[in-house]
Amino acid sequence: MLSLRRRAMIGGALSAMASILVGAFVLLTLIEDNVLDRFDRGLIDRHSQLVVALNTTATNPVALSERLYDPAYATPFSGRYWQISNLDGETYTSGSMFDTTLKAPSSHSTDLTLRSMTGPEGEPVRSAFQQITLEDGSTWDVSVAESLAALAAERQQTRRSLLLAFVLVGLLGLAGAILQTTTILHPLDKLRRDVSKRWEQDEDLTTSDYPQEVAPLVDDINELLARNRDIIARARRQAADLAHALKTPTAILRNELTVLNAQNNNMEASLDALDRVDAQLGRSLARMRAANSGAAVSVRTDLSNSVDRFTRLFSSMAERDGKEMSTSCAPDLFIRMDQQDIEEVIGNLLDNALKWCNDAISLTAITREDGVELLIEDDGPGIPEGREREALKSGGRLDSSKPGTGLGLAIAIDLLQAYGADLNLEKSAALGGLAVRIFIPSKRRQSLAKAA
Amino acid sequence: MRILLAEDDVTLASQVKTLLTAEGRVVDVAHDGEEAGFLGSTEPYDMVILDLGLPTRDGISILKEWRSEGLDFPVLILTARDGWTDRVDGLDAGADDYMTKPFHMPELAARVRAMLRRKSGRTNPLFEKGSVAFDTRNAKVTLGGIPVDLTSQEVAVLSYLIHNAGRLISRTELSEHIYEYDGDRDSNTIAVFITRLRKKLGPDFIQTIRGRGYKVDAA
Repeated sequence: MLSLRRRAMIGGALSAMASILVGAFVLLTLIEDNVLDRFDRGLIDRHSQLVVALNTTATNPVALSERLYDPAYATPFSGRYWQISNLDGETYTSGSMFDTTLKAPSSHSTDLTLRSMTGPEGEPVRSAFQQITLEDGSTWDVSVAESLAALAAERQQTRRSLLLAFVLVGLLGLAGAILQTTTILHPLDKLRRDVSKRWEQDEDLTTSDYPQEVAPLVDDINELLARNRDIIARARRQAADLAHALKTPTAILRNELTVLNAQNNNMEASLDALDRVDAQLGRSLARMRAANSGAAVSVRTDLSNSVDRFTRLFSSMAERDGKEMSTSCAPDLFIRMDQQDIEEVIGNLLDNALKWCNDAISLTAITREDGVELLIEDDGPGIPEGREREALKSGGRLDSSKPGTGLGLAIAIDLLQAYGADLNLEKSAALGGLAVRIFIPSKRRQSLAKAA
Repeated sequence: MRILLAEDDVTLASQVKTLLTAEGRVVDVAHDGEEAGFLGSTEPYDMVILDLGLPTRDGISILKEWRSEGLDFPVLILTARDGWTDRVDGLDAGADDYMTKPFHMPELAARVRAMLRRKSGRTNPLFEKGSVAFDTRNAKVTLGGIPVDLTSQEVAVLSYLIHNAGRLISRTELSEHIYEYDGDRDSNTIAVFITRLRKKLGPDFIQTIRGRGYKVDAA
């Protein structure tokens, strides 16, 4: 879809262009009319001069050339002409007419008539004509004409100047449109930046920071984010309630069956069935938890704090088993992942590591250029080469000699995938057993952002 | 040893109480958070088994309050919440161990024994002094290798004295740890239990410090 900025630019440009075209047309018409009017007034003035001169020299029209001093009247085809003729057909012209005459109008009006016609050289001229009767009773057709070449040149010059002016006005208009668009879109840009920042710092958007037209949208976004949080919290609470509602009765059943079994009633089949129910229940609840991950909510978790919490827990668990745990974590590491989700990942993987290690496990968290890397290692048997894919399968257990559902790793993968994070199984370079390498990107990946 | 069991499910609470009583423990049951908080704050328990999802008050807040009051009895969280965050939150709030439901009774019994043993600072589950041996794992007592039959009250008295071996225990303290909350605490009956135990285990195993209390020497 066309961006708002481009829409505003195109709209602004089209509107500026239309305004300029209409403006130019109107202005040019007005100016040209004005120029022609001025030209005509000059022509009428010269016609009046000719009439005055004729009035004083009517008996000797030849002397007119001397009375009219304009050198242009003497220069052949200068573009400025006069011509008089009486009813006897005697015609007198300016020297500029050379040996030609101006074509007489079809009607010999006594009113001053202005018209466009062709000049002595066939060039366009404008003429003023009037039939006048002098005090001595003689009647004359009096014409003055002037070439339109100068007028055309003036018009051309005016057009050029106007065009230049309008180009400048157009550019200013375009710059204004860009400035206006930027000013109008600024709150939307800020909203985009603030929403992005919110992903980083988990802060609500402040409605009063935005213009009143955008404020309702900001309220809606806040409400949407809050609703997302509520949905996830409610789903988690329901999963917890369901867990409580189902696990307590199964615990009671198990205890009853164990007592009956101890009293020489064979309850093995029932206990086996209950084991299967427990395992299925554990799996389903874990899946439900993974499906309700906080990936759809913008949160930031202090990873260093979570690493500290798990170091305390697993160090004491390891110590109780005569094993050792080492941790290395940069301070103030933050990740875009819900605390419960990342802790579920770390807990499951450390639990696996502790279960399979001989003597030692380690947890390392480091900052990478575009995210955070977690490494969980042990000195256990590791995973045979080529069987990593099998281990990554849900419930995949390569060795069932130790208790477990084989679900921890699958749950960790599900949770990490919801955030666009990666998990890889490798051989530990430091401890020799299994190394689980996790990469959590600092920015939400494109596909994830779309999905969310 | 007196244990507070905070569990809202009556049937499960009864099963756990039966299990622990059979091992010579005295168990008070609280069915909601308010009652659990009150009992933990006012009665001298040797350990607490705490469900997190209790009615009226959450287990974590009760635990935090106990710890802030300086109560340092061991706490085992027994809950349906099996998420790792809940687990770490529980341990960070001051719990000593965490078990999730459904669980196996023998495992719960073993964890309780281990916690009580750790509290008394002993690592060996078998206490031996002279010809008397007391197995904290099953509350069985032998004298010169021959099993001795003890009543549950006698086991409770002996167990508390052995878990606090080397320390003088007053009659009042002993009665506080062998009777349930609403039990009849007649301290004169303590003398009766001590006399019976001396008859069964020999006159020197439990010493009487006149006017002050009783003592079992450390192994």
